Amino acid sequence: MVAKKIQENIKIDAELCTGCGRCSEVCPVDAIEGEEGKPQSVNVAKCVMCGQCVQICSAYDSPFEQYATSRSQRLKERNMPVVKEPLFAAYYHGDFFKVKKRLADKKQFSMVQCAPAVRVSLAEEFGMPLGSLVPGKMVAALKRLGFTRVYDTNFAADLTIMEEGSELVKRITEGGSLPMFTSCCPAWVKFVENEYPELIDHLSSCKSPQQMAGSMFKTYGASVDGVDAREVYSVAIMPCTCKKFEASRPEMKSSGYQDVDAVLTTRELAYLIKEAAIDFNALPEESFDKPLGMYSGAGTIFGVTGGVMEAAIRTAYELITKEPIENVNVTSVRGEQGVRKVTLDTGTLKLKTVVVSGLKNVIPILEDIQRGKADFHFMEVMTCPAGCISGGGQPKMLLPVDGRIAYVNRKFSTYQHDEEQRYRKSHENPEIQDIYKKFLGEPLGHTSHKLLHTHYKPSR
Amino acid sequence: MSRNLKSFVLADSKKCIGCRVCEVACAVAHLDTEIKTVGNMNFSLNPRLYLVKTPEITMPVQCRHCEDAPCLKSCPVSAIKEQSNRIVIDEAGCIGCKSCIMACPFGAIELIVSRQERIGDEEDCLRDEPEVVASKCDLCGGAPACVKACPREALQYVDMVKERTQRRIEAANKMSGFHNEFMVREG
Repeated sequence: MVAKKIQENIKIDAELCTGCGRCSEVCPVDAIEGEEGKPQSVNVAKCVMCGQCVQICSAYDSPFEQYATSRSQRLKERNMPVVKEPLFAAYYHGDFFKVKKRLADKKQFSMVQCAPAVRVSLAEEFGMPLGSLVPGKMVAALKRLGFTRVYDTNFAADLTIMEEGSELVKRITEGGSLPMFTSCCPAWVKFVENEYPELIDHLSSCKSPQQMAGSMFKTYGASVDGVDAREVYSVAIMPCTCKKFEASRPEMKSSGYQDVDAVLTTRELAYLIKEAAIDFNALPEESFDKPLGMYSGAGTIFGVTGGVMEAAIRTAYELITKEPIENVNVTSVRGEQGVRKVTLDTGTLKLKTVVVSGLKNVIPILEDIQRGKADFHFMEVMTCPAGCISGGGQPKMLLPVDGRIAYVNRKFSTYQHDEEQRYRKSHENPEIQDIYKKFLGEPLGHTSHKLLHTHYKPSR
Repeated sequence: MSRNLKSFVLADSKKCIGCRVCEVACAVAHLDTEIKTVGNMNFSLNPRLYLVKTPEITMPVQCRHCEDAPCLKSCPVSAIKEQSNRIVIDEAGCIGCKSCIMACPFGAIELIVSRQERIGDEEDCLRDEPEVVASKCDLCGGAPACVKACPREALQYVDMVKERTQRRIEAANKMSGFHNEFMVREG
C-alpha cells in the first residue's frame, strides 16, 4: 500500500503545465503522456521516479495569472513548507513535515546518512557558488537539526564495493549471471524490473548504499550506542527522488524494522536548515560520527557517473591480482558520454566494463545481452545524465545554462574530495575492516547476505 | 531626417512551445542580486514578457518600444522615458496609476512589487500593502536574456537597421532575377 502510493510520487500540476513537452524529452522511459500544448501527466506504471522532469520544468506559477488553486493549497499538495519560491508544474511529494515532527521530539534517537552528491550541492541553496564542497558544514547543520548520530552513505558505499566487488569476482570465477549490473541506482533497478524482468538475475544482489546504511544503522549502529533498533529513527538525505521509493520497498526491512524511515532530498534538507534559522554559511566544519561515518575516496565518487565502476576497479583489481592498482585514478571510466567501454588488464583476466549514464543509452546494450551478444563482465548504470550529482532531488537551477555549470562544478568537487581523503580504496577504510572483523565476518558471508543483499522481482 | 528606430524582441509563434523559460530568464536577469537556484528565491518571479497561450496561439508578448509610445504619453508623472533608444520606466517615479497599462495596445506592462519592497526597505516596514510599480521590458541593455535562454530559438532581438538592410538585400536579389527574366527581353 505504502509502496504503491509512493510510486505516484512524481506528479505534474495540470494547472501550471503548459504542455511544452520538455519533460518528455528528458524522461528516460517515455512515462510522460499528453497532447502537445495540453497539460501532461505521468504514467505511473512506466515512471522510474528519477525526477529529471522536475529539474527541467520551467512552467512556474506566474504572479500575473489567476489560478483556481491557491498557493497554500499547492504547497500542501506537495508536502512543502511555507516557502516563497516559485512553484513549477512538475514536482514530487516531500517528507519535510514527517521528519521535522520526529526531530522535534528531543528524546528521539536518530541516525542520518547523506549521499555523496549532497555535499557538493547543498551549499547552492544558501547562495554559495555552484558545486561548493561542504561536507563539514553539512555535518554541523545536521547536528544542529538534532540528529543524534551523523553517519554517512559514503561509508555504506565502501561497504557496497566490498560486497559487489566480491560478488563480481565470484560470478566470474565460480559462475553466475554475467554481465553483472550495478544496483545502486533505484530508478535503474526499477527500470529493469519494469521493462527487462528476464535480465533481473544480472543485477548485483547488493542493496544500494542507502539501504546498506539503513540496515547497518538499526543493527550494528544501534548496538554501538546500546539502543534498541526499534528506537532508532533512520533518515537519508539524497539527491534523488527515487530513493524515497526504494526506502519504502517492503523487502527493505532486514533489520527487522524499516531500515530507512524517511528520505529527504537535498532541497528538503535545505528547507529544514532554513526553517530552523541555522546560518549555514557561518557554520563551522564538523566531522561525521564514527564508526558508520568514515569513508574512503572511493565511497565519495559514487555520486558521479563512472564512480561506482572506478571504486569497484580500485578494489577488484587487488582482489584479483593481490597487487595494488598502479594508478588509483581510473580516469578512463570518467566522463558523461552515454556509454563508455573500458577493459582493465589484471594479468590473468581482461576485465571488460561498461559505464552507462542516462537510461535511454542502456537499451541497445540490454537488447544485445538478450541476443547473447554481450562481451563484457560488469556494467554500471546511472539513470541521471551526470550521475547522482544531477539527480531529481538536487537544487533546481532557475536557468538551464546554470544546470550545466552545476554538473561540471559538482563533479569537480567530487573528485577533489576523493583526492583529499586519506584512504582512496574502500577496502582500506579502517572502519570497513573493523565492521567485517567485529560484525559482518566476510563479504558475501552469512550476515552480509542477510543484511546487505536483496533480490528483485518483475513489476508485471 | 534619418532616424534610428528602436529595437524590440519578437516571438515566433511557430517555434514557441510555451515553456516559459524566457519568462524565468527575464525575471532572473532583473533580480537585484544574483540568484541561481529556485531554493534561493524568496519572492515570485516577475518577468517582463508574458506567455500568451490560447487554443490558437502560443507565444510571449513584450514591449515593442514604440516610436510614438502611448505609455510614455499617458504617464501623468513622466516616469516613462526614452533613454538610450529604449522606452524605460523609472521605478522611483512611478505612482502605480495604471495609465500606461491602459494605454499599451500590447498588454506589455504589469504592476509588480517594487524593488525597495523586495529588498526590504527598513523605513517602509510599517506600511501594510506592498508598494507596486509599473514594469516592462527594458531590453536588458541590448542583450535580452529571454532571447538567449529560449531553448527553441523562438525569440528574436529585432535590430531595425539590420532588419531593413537584410530585407532590402533579399528584395534586391529577387528583383534582379525578375528583371533579367522579363525586363531585359522586353528591351
